[in-house]
Amino acid sequence: MRQVVATVISNEQLWGEHRVLGHLKFLGAWLIWLKCPEIASEAKPGQFIMVNCGEECLLPRPFSIHQVSDDGIALFYAVLVSGKGTSWLSRRKKGDTIKLPSPHPLGNGFSIVSSSKNLLLVAGGNGIAPLYFLAQDALKGKRSVTLLYGTADNKRRSIPPHIKLVSATEDGTVGHRGMITDILPDYINWADQVFACGPLPMYQAMAHMSELKNKPVQISLEVRMGCGLGVCYGCTVKTRNGLRQVCQDGPIFELDDVLWEELADGGV
Amino acid sequence: MKLSVQLAPKNKRGLLLANPVMTASGTFGWGTEYEHLFDIQRLGAIVGKGTTLKPREGNPQPRLAETPCGVLNAIGLQNIGVEAVIKEKAPIWAGWRVPVIVNIVGETVEEYASLARKLDGVGGIGGIEVNIGCPNIEAGGDEFGAHPDSAAAVTAAVRAATSLPVMVKLTPNTGDIVGVAQAVAEAGADALSLINTPRGIVIDIARRRPLLGNVRGGLSGPAIRPIAVYMVYSVAGAVKVPVVGIGGIASASDALEFIMAGASAVQVGTANFTNPSAPIEVLEGIEEFMAKEGVEDIAELIGAGRG
Repeated sequence: MRQVVATVISNEQLWGEHRVLGHLKFLGAWLIWLKCPEIASEAKPGQFIMVNCGEECLLPRPFSIHQVSDDGIALFYAVLVSGKGTSWLSRRKKGDTIKLPSPHPLGNGFSIVSSSKNLLLVAGGNGIAPLYFLAQDALKGKRSVTLLYGTADNKRRSIPPHIKLVSATEDGTVGHRGMITDILPDYINWADQVFACGPLPMYQAMAHMSELKNKPVQISLEVRMGCGLGVCYGCTVKTRNGLRQVCQDGPIFELDDVLWEELADGGV
Repeated sequence: MKLSVQLAPKNKRGLLLANPVMTASGTFGWGTEYEHLFDIQRLGAIVGKGTTLKPREGNPQPRLAETPCGVLNAIGLQNIGVEAVIKEKAPIWAGWRVPVIVNIVGETVEEYASLARKLDGVGGIGGIEVNIGCPNIEAGGDEFGAHPDSAAAVTAAVRAATSLPVMVKLTPNTGDIVGVAQAVAEAGADALSLINTPRGIVIDIARRRPLLGNVRGGLSGPAIRPIAVYMVYSVAGAVKVPVVGIGGIASASDALEFIMAGASAVQVGTANFTNPSAPIEVLEGIEEFMAKEGVEDIAELIGAGRG
């Protein structure tokens, strides 16, 4: 099996920004649709793919699958000023081809328990990436989905259709003014399962939330990856169940499995 | 067209490869991880992940940093330990056509010998690659492979502990690669593979600290290729045992550089991450080159580029 060569169907900038978060400077967010039926047909929410991002990037980059269609997948990605890979990707045009090292979607993906009726999704900023797909998939199963979505403001959002949306914005332009974790405790009772994706501080706040202690919470973890195939051991993290490869055993983990205090801020 | 190469001509068991394309330790897992991606049985040999006596957890994150045409890694030898390799992996390899070579790493000479002793006679193992790029705990932390005497001591101990073919993987972190190569060959190595990763550091200037959790790492990828070709060229001219070239090989032309410099075989490493079928593409490219140039036997190319 050779690498998959996927054709770019579209690649649009969703919004621009010159935002500084700690040491990270963002240029904005993009949505790219790739034609790759073999991956689209297999993909589960929470899984990711590796993308070869041009000659200057020796290592492929991991991206969560954001949406799927009959013959393609969409990736939602933020571009960092210092991000060689994402900058390259943002310059791809319709009709360009992109190489994907593995012909299969990678990682374990979220798992919805069949008896779960009420699903609470918690997205922090760019953490919407895998949750959009999860929201769409969950709705097919006649479940009730509530998305708690925390962003900088009301402009920079990618909102999945047909779900109940609860917003928090740092500038207060819509919803709660502040962080999404401020209002999360109010919704936990309602939820049969919680699924979250966001920056490390969001997970750390959730890990300390007493309301979440007896709730099944799945989170998507991001660390620097080399191969995506479980061979390079670049993405190992410590969990309560021992060492785990984020690319193979994850990227979805139970919130309380991860040893958050051990997890370094890798500047990903 | 003859592609097969014998990497251990003086060893009773021998180490016959159907072709000169191997995969490098730490970049191909145990082989099983790539089985669903392509026919790994077509490879010349597979070298397994660095294996220690006891399981190891490895280094803290971050473990990887991309550099211009390279990758700096400090995985820290995370592995399942030799007992698990023997129990869980070797039985799978026993059913394979492609030979599997186990890469061993010790912190003392006795650890290397003990590893070799445990692997001796285990079905499914075609040979041992001895990684001497590990700090010598008993002698202040220099790599065993930094000096001819410590490199030879490890080789002799492994040689005495097993009848398996022994290939010693040389580190470039020495001032005397030829002296080390000669000492290792003299001490009984059947073959030499080189180079392991040169040491490097990346500084995260925004945080004003080393980027890797372990501070320093080993550099791989095309960035090190000319250095590796130089060292293969130098070593191949100084020893009689077969030499295996490693360092930034991603295509057939890269591999042919090493072969013409004097390598009998090559290992594909970091390229496996961007393109899992890179080793097969290297093999097919070598076959095409030979067909085009009218080369009947790969042996005609080994050392053919030496000036």
